[in-house]
This record gives sequence, structure tokens and C-alpha cells, in this order.
Amino acid sequence: MRSRSLPLLVLLVASLAAAQYKMALPGYHYQFPRDHFNHPEFQTEWWYYTGNLRAPDGHRFGFELTFFRTGLTGNQPPDSTWAARDLYFAHLALSDLDGQHFYHVERSNRAGPGIAGADEKTETIWNGNWQVHLEGDRQDLQAVSDQFNLRLTMESKKPPVIHGENGVSQKAEEQGRASHYISLTRLLTAGVIEIENKAYQVTGTSWMDHEFFTHQLEPDQVGWDWLSLQFDDDTELMLFRIRRKDGSIDSSSAGTYIDPRGLSHHLRAGDFTLRPSPDTWTSPNSSAVYPIRWQVSVPALGIAGEVRTPLPKQEMTARSKLANSYWEGAIDLTATRAGQRLSGRGYLEMTGYDRPVQLGQ
Amino acid sequence: MLSVRLFYRLIVRPLLREPWRAALTVFAVALGVSVVLAIELAGNAAAGSFRSSLETLSGNTNLEVTAAGGIPEQTVATLERLPYPIELHARVEDYTTVADSAQTVPLIGLDLISESNNDSPQSRAFDTVDAENALQYLNDLNSVWVGSRLGYKPGDRIRLLVNDHTREYVVRGIFNDQNEGVSAIVMDIATAQREVGRMGRVDRVLLKVPDEPSIEEWQSRIRDALPSGIEVRLEGSGTAENRKMLSAFRWNLRVLSYVALVVGAFLIYNTISVSVVRRRPEIGIVRALGATRGAILLAFLGEAACFGVAGSLLALPLGRALASVAVRLLSMTVESLYVSSTPGSAALNLPSAILGVLVGIAVAVVSALSPAREASLVSPVEAMARARREYIARVHKARDLWIALAMALAAGLASRMPAVEGKPLFGYLSAILLIGASVFAIPAFVDRLSTLSSNLLGRCFGVEALLASRSLAGSLRRTSVLVGALATAIAMMTAVGIMVGSFRQTIVVWMNDQLPADLYLRPAGDESADRHPTMSPEFADALAKLPGVAAVDRYRAYEISYQGLPATLAGADLQVMRDFRSSDFVSGRAPDKVLDEMRRRDAAIISEPFSNKHRVHAGQSINVPLGGRNVSLRIVDVYYDYASERGVIVIDRMTLLRYLPDPAPSNLAVYVQQGANVDAVRQEIEFAAAGRNVLVFTDRDLRREAIRIFDRTFAITYALEAVAILVAVMGIGGALLALVIDRRREFGLLRFMGAATGQLRKIILVEAGLLGVLANLVGLGLGFLLSLVLIFVINKQSFGWTIQFHWPVAVLVGALSAVYAATVVAGLYPARLATRLNPIEVIHEE
Repeated sequence: MRSRSLPLLVLLVASLAAAQYKMALPGYHYQFPRDHFNHPEFQTEWWYYTGNLRAPDGHRFGFELTFFRTGLTGNQPPDSTWAARDLYFAHLALSDLDGQHFYHVERSNRAGPGIAGADEKTETIWNGNWQVHLEGDRQDLQAVSDQFNLRLTMESKKPPVIHGENGVSQKAEEQGRASHYISLTRLLTAGVIEIENKAYQVTGTSWMDHEFFTHQLEPDQVGWDWLSLQFDDDTELMLFRIRRKDGSIDSSSAGTYIDPRGLSHHLRAGDFTLRPSPDTWTSPNSSAVYPIRWQVSVPALGIAGEVRTPLPKQEMTARSKLANSYWEGAIDLTATRAGQRLSGRGYLEMTGYDRPVQLGQ
Repeated sequence: MLSVRLFYRLIVRPLLREPWRAALTVFAVALGVSVVLAIELAGNAAAGSFRSSLETLSGNTNLEVTAAGGIPEQTVATLERLPYPIELHARVEDYTTVADSAQTVPLIGLDLISESNNDSPQSRAFDTVDAENALQYLNDLNSVWVGSRLGYKPGDRIRLLVNDHTREYVVRGIFNDQNEGVSAIVMDIATAQREVGRMGRVDRVLLKVPDEPSIEEWQSRIRDALPSGIEVRLEGSGTAENRKMLSAFRWNLRVLSYVALVVGAFLIYNTISVSVVRRRPEIGIVRALGATRGAILLAFLGEAACFGVAGSLLALPLGRALASVAVRLLSMTVESLYVSSTPGSAALNLPSAILGVLVGIAVAVVSALSPAREASLVSPVEAMARARREYIARVHKARDLWIALAMALAAGLASRMPAVEGKPLFGYLSAILLIGASVFAIPAFVDRLSTLSSNLLGRCFGVEALLASRSLAGSLRRTSVLVGALATAIAMMTAVGIMVGSFRQTIVVWMNDQLPADLYLRPAGDESADRHPTMSPEFADALAKLPGVAAVDRYRAYEISYQGLPATLAGADLQVMRDFRSSDFVSGRAPDKVLDEMRRRDAAIISEPFSNKHRVHAGQSINVPLGGRNVSLRIVDVYYDYASERGVIVIDRMTLLRYLPDPAPSNLAVYVQQGANVDAVRQEIEFAAAGRNVLVFTDRDLRREAIRIFDRTFAITYALEAVAILVAVMGIGGALLALVIDRRREFGLLRFMGAATGQLRKIILVEAGLLGVLANLVGLGLGFLLSLVLIFVINKQSFGWTIQFHWPVAVLVGALSAVYAATVVAGLYPARLATRLNPIEVIHEE
């Protein structure tokens, strides 16, 4: 079957069967390392790893490795190891920023006899030979593909951040339209990138997002823009805005600021602005038009500036027209904080530009 | 220019004068070539490519991971997680029968989620499938995807027989069939595992590894990551193994198909010889007028080549037609003896056509070499001395006998030589030497016998018989060739008849020992040597509790690959063998002793073909990959087995379950309590089996079925023999016709002197009859010797069976009488021609 389109289809199917799953509600008690792994009682869960890396000669790279899990069925699945209770899919991308090249691969699997999972016992999140192994504050990432391989070791400098208020990151007004959202915002990273048999020793900083939920967007919400920024002064910022069908910005848009000690500060929709500049890039594959320059300001923190990408073509193009494509790529920040120059790097994600995203409705 | 005219005058014109004789020769060549062609084409279609039908939807993978009885499914995860850029396709593989059309097709379980990861041919095959809905059918046990060739539409219901149950499924999508002729049913791997009873295992994982560094390097890297009992081999090894397994079968078939051609060669030889003898005066005149020896040689070789070309061209459509009949017969044989196959169509391709024509011309020219050379040696002076050649034949009788003796000795030696790469090349050599020996011995034999018999014949059948007999001895050379041709055909028929008859009798005797139980059960569906559908173990347990049932024995078979050849590994309740007799084992040991050594141990008995194929014997050990482990099995003994040409390894069921813990049996044997009524128990069993598709056989049914399969298997052999005989009989007819034309003067004289037409007819018919008797005698003797070579050398080396020699008297008497009658009938037309001669005219010619 032409299920190169599987991921998003699954979300469609999944939405029919959500009744048996838990919703993300305030008051969730987080526990680590337990909560780094699987939450099968929630229908959808994902782990995003993104980072900006640099070789000793200054050659810059960005990478993304994302593991998704989504519960498939409301029916009684067959009594078999291979029963498809969940669909595991994963996206892997490498941005050769100086080489101006973007590689990306995706794959879908079922848990089967251990083909994919996110298992507390083995402390591993994996999909085939793409995996992250956790050991205390250390995470080992490995991913193999036809064109490139990643072998990275990441050391978390800060405790996990829990976004939102009272343990939930609200995405719409209705109760339960929310996720449990955890981040590791400063992962010092070192390792090897191999592209077509050429190896680069790299170092840099990565970011991990982990969300689990059952309901999320409302039908009126068509997509989101999200960014993570790691400033040079050891602080980080995460912002997202949800776009509505009528072009307005949803009031559930929010963000989090993490100070050098690792304490997080919740930002509401009114606390920041995230505005696209007219500078756009049109994907030749999906024909989606993405804004690639954004104005960012957080008045309460005195931060104002602009993010740009060194590589416009960082679209994760879906293999089928039935699934959503999205833009996820490395960005650079030029800004000021209280008049002082502030620079940083991060990742920007833009969804719903080819057509509306339907997620956990 | 001269040579063309020469060719026309010397060759074409005489031929045109006797169109019937020319046509007969051409037709004989055509038959011979068409049989060779038909077997080649049918062999290619039925067994040639020997891509196993399970290779469908296998795409462009280059390695495969397998183990006997399947590999543990965890292996799939291990492979998926190896840090190499490998494409993976895990498969559950079995067969299913579509209930409505009774068509048996591969049933393939694929991971329909991961198949979408690669842009492989198998995922493209699914491009027509409605992706949007496909996903929700994944966990639905009723969902199947069906190959386009089966003719279903999405939403249709389809009833499938899998193992011992038939169930209705819903067609969720249609995919494009890949292999020529092979369709398939696809299920999601989860459903397939469940439906075919392969929980916890998959049958194969196909891999696509990168080209760099090398396929061998990848093979060893992957092997290193897996337990020792799991095999990593080149994808398509199964096909290669099938081919290897079938090569001996095809070889023997091919050799047999050449028999008709050899007989045809005799006829060409005969025809050209007759031409030469009859045209001696003309040759002499032409030579006197300045034609060179080379020109004469070329002219006669040209005649043969014409026969060859005409015959082979006629053979092309004939062979194609015969092939389409043969392909059905062949594929049934292949299916019941070797491996599941879907025959392709027997298409006439250019290489085969060229091969056919070349073989036809080559055979014709080669067989004409000797008479053509003889013609070229004719000197103008002696051209009129017609009797000289016959004289030479007489003179060399003794020398020919010595040659015959030497060839016979060489044949004896060749029969002692071992096989060459599994092919009994020396066996064939021995057979050819025997035929050669008999050909050289025939002149002496004919001479002696006709001398001895002429008086007797004269006394019994009158003066006409005496004349006939003398005339045969008189033209000894021609008679010898005719007897040689017919005798060779008869010998082949006799030899194959004796071998097949012996084989049949051996099997009948063997089966009497082999089927000690009262009732036998197996799942319904087509039988094939490499398919082992199973029944539910609960059903077996329930049977044991039925009233009147004394015991139920279970037998479970798996397909394995042992040292590059397919084999069957079976676990049997040792009771199955409690009725074994000492004579069933090659060692002749008491069965109790043998079975005691096997009980619960890593010990096995192997079938005779297995022992012969792999040259392993009692006391040695074999390494068999079992359930992901490498198990060393000690061979306790070798047993006779005629059920399959594939090798069989039998171990204790308890031992098998230790490595492959699937209790489902492939066959059951039910012993009825003493005094209980077998029919009543059978009814009980059929009642208990309600809802399952199992077949119940009595021992008698099974014997009949086995013999039926056996006869079907050898049908093609008989057909080939029949064609050879037909060619030979046609030769007799043609030769007698030549004889009549040749002896016009003699017959005219006889008529002139007052012989009645009836008397002439009698002379011709007695000659035909005598030829038949001589050929039958020589053929029978030679056939007996050839049958020994067939049974004890060629069969043993190709297939590894021990066959007890047995004369199939009824068959032989029947066949030989038929041949005899046919030779006499072949004399009818020439006899009629002789009676029509106008004596006045003939004498007037003088």
C-alpha cells in the first residue's frame, strides 16, 4: 500500500479512537527518568531532538531526529506480537548549513518484536536503527541512513523543564486540549557526523522536546509556529503560536524562558510576539510558502530581535500528498536584551503551511 | 553448377520418384526432433526457471535470513537495529487454496507498515491499494490483499483454505502480481502468523544491503550479529537449490528424449544406405563422367541434410504442440516429487528453435557419414558389382563381434564408475556402449538366426517363408540396420518398462510395511513434496479420546535446506515406527534398537536418498539449523524411502519439540482398537473433524493414491518411449517399401514364374514378421541389460533409490506384442505394392 503517507493518516484514524485514552489534565505528577519514556495511556507521544553543531574547521550542521508514537486502534487488536497497537514513525534530517544541503528520511514501524519503542527498562527510545539511549544526564544518539550517519553524545546541563502551568501545556481553551510537555533545553553535544563516507567531528548544543497527549488542536486551529533558542548567556527560550483559520493567533499560544539556574518562567500569549517578516521560501516539493525570517520580542525579558535561517530548504517533505509536510530547521538569532547584544542559535518549526494540520481532534 | 545438377540428378530426382519413402524419413526425423524440443520446452516451463513460487513479491533484495522451521521473530528486531543501512522485509510464507477455484497460491505475510518505508517493487505492487483505508484494516483478521491475476475486486469475499481450516476473508485491495504465472494472497504479518500457525516466528527476512564493500562482507557481518543456527545466504538460494535438485531429473528426461532421435538416426542411416546401394550404377556412371569423390560425398550428405532440415522445420510446430501436453504432465511430476511450482507456458523461443534445427541436421548428417563415404568410395569400374558390399558385411562379422565384446566389457566397467557432480555420466556411457555392442553383434546374430531358422520356417510356413528368411540374410547389412533401429527402440522401452515396473513393485511392497495404521489424516488442499500444512493439535488430542481409537501418532514435517539442497526434516512419534521391520533399514538392524537410540536424543534416521545425496551414513553426524540453533544429529540408521526424491531426516517428535515447540502435526496415523470397526471409527473421526478441512484415508486409499501419483509421474516416460517405437515402426515400413522397390525384378520374376499375389504378400509379411522377431529378441536382451544400468547405476546415482529388480511380465508381453503387430502392419502397404507389380512390365524392363 502506498503508505508513505502513513503518519498523518494515522492521526486521522487515531482521532476516531481517542475515547479509550487519557487526556492531559492539570496536576500530572512528573517523575524522572520514568517520564522520559513511553506513556501508552496517551494516544500520541513524540520525542524531538534538534541541535546546532560545528566541526573544528567551522563547518556548521543542524540535525533533527524525531520519534513519534500514536495509538492506532479502538478495536481489540489481534493477539500477536505484531499487532499494530501503535504506529511508530520517525523523521531524521541533517542540515549541512555550510554545504547548503538538506538530507531527510522518514520511516514507519510497529513495535513488533522490538522493532520500535520507548522503553524505561532498557532506557531507550528507538525506531529500528535510529535510537537514543539515556543514562542519567547522558543521552547517546545513533542514526543510520543510506546517505549519512549520526553518532552523538549529549550531556544535559539543566534539569527537565515542564512547560505550561500546573503540568499541562494548553493548546486550546477546552479542558484536555493540552499536552504534557517536557524539554531538556541545554544538551552539550559531541560526536561524529558521516556524510557519504566523510566523517566530521562535531560539537554543539542540542534540545530535546517530549510531549504526550490525546487531544490537542481544535478544528479551527490550522497549524503552529514553534521555536527554540539557546542564547550565548546560558539561557533558553521556547515560544509557540497557534494559527486559527481566520488568520488570527490563538490565545493558547505560549512560551517558556529558562534562566541560567534551570528555573523556568511561563510566558502567556500576551507576554511575547512572534511575527513573520515578508521574506519567504517556497517549497518546490509541496508548494508551501514558509516565512523564513521572524521578529521575536519578549518585552518582560527585554528581548527583541530577529531569527533567520542559514538554509531555507529545510522542509521535511511528506512522501505522500496525503500527509502534511513541515519546515523544521536550524536558525540564528540576532537580538538585544536590555540594550546588550544577544546572540543564539535554535530550531524553528512551521506546520500547516501546505494545508491544515489535524492533530488529536 | 555441375554439383547442383549432380545433386538434382543423383539425389533429388530419385527422391521425387518415391515421395512416400522420403516423407516417412522426414517425418521420422521430425518426430525425433520434436520430442527433444518438446521436452526441452516443457522442461523449461515446468522446471527450468525453478523460481519457487514463494519468491513472489520479493523485489530487489540480495540476501535472505532463514532457519529450519522459521526464525524467532526477535531476530527481525535484531536485524532492524543493526547499525547498517539495510532494507528489510520480514515474511511469513505458506500456501493457501482459494476455495472457489481450488487454486493453490502462495500466502505471504508482510509487515504492511514497514513495507512502505522503501520504494521497493513489492511496495510498488501495492500502489493500487487504497492507502487511506488500508491502515484501519491492519488489525482486522479478515483482511487480505489479493493478486490481480486471481480476478477479485476490493470488497469481495474470498474463501481460503489455510492448513486445516477454511475461512472467509474480505478483499481489501488488489496488488499487481510480479512473477509470471504466479499470483498470491497477502496478509499483514500479524494475521498471517496467526492463520498459518507460525506464532513467534517468521519464515524469512529478505535484505537489501548496499553494494559496498561486497555482498560477502555484508553476509558475514550480518551472520556475526545472529545466533549460529540462523542462515544468511544469497537471496534466491532456494531457487538455486531447487534447480540443483531438479537437474538430475531434467538430465534423465532430456537423455530419454534423445532416444527417439537416436532411433531417427538409425533410419537416416538406413535411408541413405539404401539410396547408395540402389544408385551404385548411377554413382559409377557419374564418377566415370568425372565427378570427384568429394562431390559424391557431399551429394549424399546433402541428401541427409535435406532430411534433417525438412524434419526439423516440421518438428518446430510439432514440438511446440507436444510441449504443451508435456508441460502439464511434467509440472505434476515436479509438484508431487519435488517442489511447489507454477508452470510457465511452453513458448517456442529462438534459441530452442535453433537448437532443434541444428540437432536435427547434425544427427542427419552424422548418421549419413558412413554410407555417404561408402558411396564416394565407389569406383566407376566396380559400380556394377552390386553384391560386394554385402560380401564385406559378411566378412567382418567376426571382427564386429569382437568389437561388440569389447564395448560390452567397457560398458561393464563404466557402470562401476561413480557419478560426476550428481550426474550419472558413466551410467549413460555404459548404456550407449551397450547399445553400440548390440549394434555390432546384430549382423552375426541375424545371420546365425536366419540360417538356423530358415529350414524351420520353410517347413512351417512354406516356401515363401524360406524365401523371406534367405532374403533377409542375403541383404544382411540392411537387415542389421533395421533390426538395430527397432531393437534399440524396443530395448529402451523394455529397459524403462522394467525399471518402472520394478520401481512400482518395490513401492507396493514397501508401502505394505509403511502403512501399519488403519487411518491416516492430513489437511485438505493440494499435496506437494515441499508443503507441510498442519492440523490443530487439539484435534489430534480429541481423536485419541474417541471410542475405538487405540492410538494416534503425530508426524510433523518442515522444509529445510541442508548443504545447498532442499530436504525435509520430520519429527515423528516413535510409535509410528514400532511396526518398522528390520528390512526397512539399510543395516537390517532390529527396529527397537534403532528407535531406542533415537528416543529423546539428538539422533536421527535418514532416508536413503538423503544418505546418497550427501554421502552420509550411520554413525556420522549432521549439523542441522533448527529453530535458530545449530543442532548436531547423530545418524542412527538409514531407512528405505520411496515417497520422495528429496532427502528426509526423521527425529523423535520430543526432540523436535525441544527446538521448534509447535505441536501442530502435519499428518496423523490412527490405530483402531482390536475388534473395533474401522468404518465406524472413521465416521467418528469425520464427525469430530466437522468444520475442519482434513482428509481421512484408509491405508488402502493411500496405497492407491501413491500408485496413482506414481503412474502419473511416469506417464511422460511412457509417452517418450511410445514416440521412439513409432519412429522405429515407421522405419520398418519405409525400409520394407524400399525393399519392395529394390526387388521389383525379383518379385516380377516370381510372379512371372507363377507366384500368386498372396504368396508375394506372404513373403513381405513374413519378412516384416521376421524383422519384428529379430528386433524383439535383440531388444529384449539389450533392454534387460539396459534396465540393470538404469536401476542400479543411473537411478541410484541420480536419485538414490534402491529398487528391487522385477520383471513386469504383463506390461512387457503386451508392449512387445504391440510392437510386433505394428511391424507386421507396417509391412502391409509394401506388400500391397508388391502384388500390384505388373510382371510383364518388370520383365520387359530387363
